[in-house]
Amino acid sequence: MTGRRRLGDWYAYLFIGPSLLGVVAFLLLPVVIVFALSLFRWELLSAPVFVGLENYARLAGDGEAWHSLWVTVLYVLLCIPLQTVLALALALMLDRRIKGVRILRSLFVIPWMATPIVMGLVWDWIFDPRDGALNRALDLVGVAGPDWLSDPAWALPAVALVNIWQHTGYTMLFFLAGLQGIPKELYDAAATDGATPAQRFWKITLPLLNPTMFFVTVTNLIGAFQAFDTIFVMTDGGPGGSTDVLNFRIFGTAFREFDFGYASTLSMLLFAVILLVTLAQVRFFGRRTTYDLS
Amino acid sequence: MTRPFRRTALYAALAAGAFVSVFPYLLVVLTAFKTRRQLSTTEPWLPGLPPSTANLAEILGGDFPRFLANTVVMTALLTLGQLVFTTFAAYAFARLRFRGRDALFWLYVATMMVPSAVTVIPLFLIMRELEAVNTWYGLLAPYILGTPYGIFLMRQFFKSLPGGLEEAARIDGAGPLTILFRILLPLCRPAIGTLAIITVISSWNSFLWPLIITSGDETKVVTVAISALKVGIGVDRGLMMAGGLIALAPMVAIFIFFQKYIVRSVVLTGLK
Repeated sequence: MTGRRRLGDWYAYLFIGPSLLGVVAFLLLPVVIVFALSLFRWELLSAPVFVGLENYARLAGDGEAWHSLWVTVLYVLLCIPLQTVLALALALMLDRRIKGVRILRSLFVIPWMATPIVMGLVWDWIFDPRDGALNRALDLVGVAGPDWLSDPAWALPAVALVNIWQHTGYTMLFFLAGLQGIPKELYDAAATDGATPAQRFWKITLPLLNPTMFFVTVTNLIGAFQAFDTIFVMTDGGPGGSTDVLNFRIFGTAFREFDFGYASTLSMLLFAVILLVTLAQVRFFGRRTTYDLS
Repeated sequence: MTRPFRRTALYAALAAGAFVSVFPYLLVVLTAFKTRRQLSTTEPWLPGLPPSTANLAEILGGDFPRFLANTVVMTALLTLGQLVFTTFAAYAFARLRFRGRDALFWLYVATMMVPSAVTVIPLFLIMRELEAVNTWYGLLAPYILGTPYGIFLMRQFFKSLPGGLEEAARIDGAGPLTILFRILLPLCRPAIGTLAIITVISSWNSFLWPLIITSGDETKVVTVAISALKVGIGVDRGLMMAGGLIALAPMVAIFIFFQKYIVRSVVLTGLK
């Protein structure tokens, strides 16, 4: 019996082996390395020099890095609330039997497939002050549009819009699945009790969508904190650093300035921020009651 | 009186949203077939007549087909690796008993929390140490062994299959491999299809890692090549959109033919 058990064990380890190698070598080891490197000064050409917490002291006084963190937070705040509300509104509108509902659902999800680099270039053109579609259309109605991507006030919202455009439809799919999981009897009961549509939404729909809300905000936030592709092709962090999000700064510090030690310190900052925000969400959503109907 | 009005308003809102969703794609298609002259004389949202294939011919006449082939190879290998290694690992976690299973699984779940932005620098340095910068090995290695997220999704699916499935086969003396291939995998087709689609899309669209790890033409992929089109002297929108069209077309085709798998990716997360 134990011999057989052993054999089963070996099968399992064999099956897990390759993925475990991946997890250890390409996920865990990198985390250890990035932390270790944050304690070194290293420009690749010379040997790394241990500097203790010097990089962190530099970070504390580095106005540009904190500016990047601020830009990242602003970007996330521009993206996530709007995207989540829009996705939920779309799901509510499409969670009914109306003509063409399947086609409409498909059309809303299609931006999700788009290669971000390509769509970054397309939107870069849409936002072009002279021959871009947006200002051309605004011209037709007599409005002079700004120079979106060269205006420090507009560049970040413009880049955020691309992210919202890309992810709203896919997020809607999650809400649709969530809505379809809510037992219809609840609404019937509420209707017989004389609940208004607004009451039904706030007291039934929203609380029962809690797990969906948790999942989409956690995953979308983690994604938004790592924005890179669209910014790379649209603004290159400019104008005047107004779209210089943290992930872009990390890239520049490492692969343009070859300052790998400090870039690792910035990575630790981004990691810490993402971890804290995710934990905060776990607490926030965990505290609210979910109704177990099974 | 208000009901038809509300219905019209609903459709108007949905139509406007759908238009915004599709408009950038429309722009890519229209522009890819415009001559430079048509581009400067027509509004962006109108077609150039007669349509011209000059942009497509120009971009396909250069190195672009090579980069396209690289993207195809990368996507195929990453998807194959993900499917094979993820299925084995998820099967073991969901249906086999072995020492350390729960601890290992929690390790996987914990690594799902590690953002890819954080691992990019150390991964580059690891590949540099292994002299794998600018090689296929360096491009593929970090993502070919299966992702924790994929394993998590597949494990959920394996767990949802009835527990008694293996019993009869086991009594007949079937080993874990036979059980996996003969009994469980045929039931897993929808989940495997979904995982394949997700992996194809994310591999095809990936940019940051290929940008960092490759510099020569041997391993350059389409996304990196397209991003370089903006840096050249005088931006040629027609050429850029022709490249974009070629990059987007396979994704749109996948979307049209495998839509149900994409919708299922939402259900697979186990959320209700």
